[in-house]
Amino acid sequence: MLNALAHFERAKPHLSGDVEARAQALQQAELLGLPTRRVEAWHYTDLPRLLNRASSPSGALTGNDFSALKPHYLVFENGQLSTDAAQLSAEFVAPEADLSADAMTLYNHALAENGVTLNFDNSPETIVVIETKGSETQHFMHRVKLGAGVKATVVDDHAALGYSNVIWHVELAADAQLTLVHIQQSGQYVGHCTANLAANAQFKQMTLLTGGDVARHATHVKLQQAGAKADLHSAILGRAVSHNDVTYTIEHQAADTHSHTTSHQALADAARGVFQGKVIVQRDAQRVDAQMQARAMMLSSEAEINAKPELEIYADDVACAHGTAIGEIDADALFFLRARGIDEASARQLLITGFVEQLLTHCDDKALADVLRRHIEQKISALTLTKLEADHAV
Amino acid sequence: MSALLEISNLQAGIGDKAILKGLDLTIQAGEVHAIMGPNGSGKSTLSYVLSGKDGYDITGGSMQFDGHDLADLQAEERAIAGLFLAFQYPLEIPGVTNMTFLKTALNAVRRGRGEDEMDAASFLRLAREKSRALGMDDDMLKRQLNVGFSGGEKKRNEILQMAMLEPKLAILDETDSGLDIDALKIVAEGVNAQRSPERGMLVITHYQRLLDFIKPDVVHVMANGRIVRSGGPELALELEKSGYADYRGNEAAHA
Repeated sequence: MLNALAHFERAKPHLSGDVEARAQALQQAELLGLPTRRVEAWHYTDLPRLLNRASSPSGALTGNDFSALKPHYLVFENGQLSTDAAQLSAEFVAPEADLSADAMTLYNHALAENGVTLNFDNSPETIVVIETKGSETQHFMHRVKLGAGVKATVVDDHAALGYSNVIWHVELAADAQLTLVHIQQSGQYVGHCTANLAANAQFKQMTLLTGGDVARHATHVKLQQAGAKADLHSAILGRAVSHNDVTYTIEHQAADTHSHTTSHQALADAARGVFQGKVIVQRDAQRVDAQMQARAMMLSSEAEINAKPELEIYADDVACAHGTAIGEIDADALFFLRARGIDEASARQLLITGFVEQLLTHCDDKALADVLRRHIEQKISALTLTKLEADHAV
Repeated sequence: MSALLEISNLQAGIGDKAILKGLDLTIQAGEVHAIMGPNGSGKSTLSYVLSGKDGYDITGGSMQFDGHDLADLQAEERAIAGLFLAFQYPLEIPGVTNMTFLKTALNAVRRGRGEDEMDAASFLRLAREKSRALGMDDDMLKRQLNVGFSGGEKKRNEILQMAMLEPKLAILDETDSGLDIDALKIVAEGVNAQRSPERGMLVITHYQRLLDFIKPDVVHVMANGRIVRSGGPELALELEKSGYADYRGNEAAHA
């Protein structure tokens, strides 16, 4: 569990920006405290309790090989950049403390000692992989700003073991396109991403959670001008006692904006899944198309899913829909595969893989899809299905 | 010579409900048998009990298939032994491509039969050859298994699976359902291409129409969980004229 004051004292000599303001942010954060279930947005993710419990082993880490994407690599280990950010002019810019922010943002404003600042004005399409490792507490502030018509892909490859508080700020000018991928396979990650989109900008976020002890990935998208589009997709393979929370707020602030949100959560052992999705359509935002679909596949009787989709619509000419489906492995599908000679354990594995890999149907980049597929398949083959079989026999 | 499939006095049901009530059926290698019968006579139950679907209780009789007692085998072991069920309603499996599914199935069956697994290149060649023979687009191999397939595409895909797995006995459960006449012809041609002296087929259908295209050697009428009459292809034509009224009466009398 993080002791924020001690951490601040230790980090103080290295902190950039207005350190006095940061100290105030910390004071305010400590006053508010880590969010508990009494805070509505955290109702299913009681952070103090989750961070205080004994952490469960993450299992073997899977190395993701992105070389086929020919990316720029930035590697953080225990908060320190171990590669050169100058290649991208991506040097960290310290946050300005906002004392009116929520506790998690305040902690980040106080303690963020690193992060990347990607400012692409009219660069050719760029692919950046940010790898995070180490076992100490880490606070990051990442910024991604794309100029008009610029395309980029950023991958957040998280394989750190400790607690991380991560903030993402995304600004997309007209016609810009950003694909932001989060892969979390370990540790305790509490992330908040805000994305502001101008006319016809496209923000695609793909979140893959395969083994973190605590995973909280909150995203707040503002579609500010006509034609802006958000594609928000997540897939979760929950095992052991992992806690996996994907929380979306999508604000349609302008007419003719679109959003598409899907979540596929496969939950084994005593894993918990949380899906919160809130679509807000403002009064003058006509002809909005907002689709939201959350699915959960329960692989054990001890697994738990909390799904809360919400629509708040103030315009009248809109097409909005949300749906939630929770089930087990389909017995008829299982029989179909077995009737083709595939043994029961392999058939289950194939069905779970297919379920989780529906994330990839939203990935246009084949090389990236291949990396994600290999990651998913390695994690699924490591999943012990003995528990399932025992359940099945009962 | 021993029969490929020999079912004697088979009794099966779900819970307390008896569905198959003493069914006898013998199929020799190389023969095509058709089972016709009214809805609710137990035709689909027979196909599921033979292929090993969970949830059915076998309460009496026996099923011998090519030297195996089927009751001893799991569904996947029956497939490896050479039994194939073409589903009436093939399942849609999102996220699993047709290609991955076919390769997993083929290699599972090959392993089970003591053969080497097929490498990726040979598999691809074989899958393309077999699917083209069925008039299927290469694209169908890349798509997610049966997801968004038309009724005809799903049934063609079933016949493709049969062609890949090379079973000794193929059970076609209402393969004609949901097909227009053109799709029916394509599927029937695919089935006919796989008729051989070593292979038996059991064609389950409600309508005579399918049997215009897949000519059976023997036609059986099933009613109330039993084979009540057997004959040559002319029996199907007779049923087409007279309908199942006689057999329904029979069923009602038993009810």
